[in-house]
Amino acid sequence: MVTPAPQRPSDDGPEGPLQEARAWGIVSYLLAGLLTYGGLGLLLDHWLGTSWLVLVGLLTGAALAFYLIWFRYGTR
Amino acid sequence: MSPLALAAAQGEEFTSPGKEDFWWPILGSDSSAWTLTRPAVMALVSVALIAWFLLAATRHRAIIPGRLQFIGEGAYGFIREGIGRDLIGSRDFLKFMPLLFAQFTFILLNNLFGIIPFVQYPTMSRYGFPVALAAITYITFHAVGFHRKGFVGYFKDLVPPGLPSWIVPVIFLLEFVDKFLTRPLTLSLRLFANMFAGHLLLLVFILGAEHLLLTGGPALKVAGVLSGVLAIVMTFFEALVEVLQAYIFTLLTALYIGGALAEEH
Repeated sequence: MVTPAPQRPSDDGPEGPLQEARAWGIVSYLLAGLLTYGGLGLLLDHWLGTSWLVLVGLLTGAALAFYLIWFRYGTR
Repeated sequence: MSPLALAAAQGEEFTSPGKEDFWWPILGSDSSAWTLTRPAVMALVSVALIAWFLLAATRHRAIIPGRLQFIGEGAYGFIREGIGRDLIGSRDFLKFMPLLFAQFTFILLNNLFGIIPFVQYPTMSRYGFPVALAAITYITFHAVGFHRKGFVGYFKDLVPPGLPSWIVPVIFLLEFVDKFLTRPLTLSLRLFANMFAGHLLLLVFILGAEHLLLTGGPALKVAGVLSGVLAIVMTFFEALVEVLQAYIFTLLTALYIGGALAEEH
């Protein structure tokens, strides 16, 4: 693929603005996980007449969000 | 009627401050969407003040800067080197500096209005203002992302490379909701909620002190003095929060733009 040269903002140690900004971004991921998969669980509950899928959805969403945060920020 | 006059007119009865204290119509009816309100006027005044300050700071540029030039250059350098270059990257950051610096100065001054004597109302405690600012950030970072990577490429790039392939679809959905829904939501809500809650807190201490001092017995007057002292302490605390929130908003705008531009693959 022809793309411009790879360019990532420089990693600036544990204290710099990049780390700080990431810390604030984590809230957004957690919220997204809970909203998306909790919402999906709620919808499925509505359709299937069950009541426990919303809990499964919320837990799945939180787990996925934690996984993604770890993968994005923890492994490199 | 101002909250102070309102509290005085009510005499004995103390009504705790609430969301009515944020509605300040100046021109127009009480319910119209086109009513000119106090925060709207303050936002306009803030733009004039910032423009005046920056023009004054850059008019007589010198190698050895005067005081105004020093403050102006310091603020710009802080945003440019501390936020723009670090988060967007040295190749692209320059063309986003006008946006970042304008956002920072605009939010900063409008937040500081919350503690500047006789103004004492943070513009951003009306949710419409943070929403408009977050919308600018939202449109900008998605636009530069689509422009840089193409429509399909941008969506492909939402998911970080190297994930196990079976998990990619669920992570894609999560990333999509994060970037298109919760980012603008958290960005606007964080600024709004901080300013709203901070102003309400100050109102409680200041109006409480006034009410206790004017209508209370001797013991309550002492409590009123304490409440007044706390109001002053909280005002300094608010100054900290107001600067911090302006910084965080700009920081996140830069992070989102940098993320939309960065090549993951």
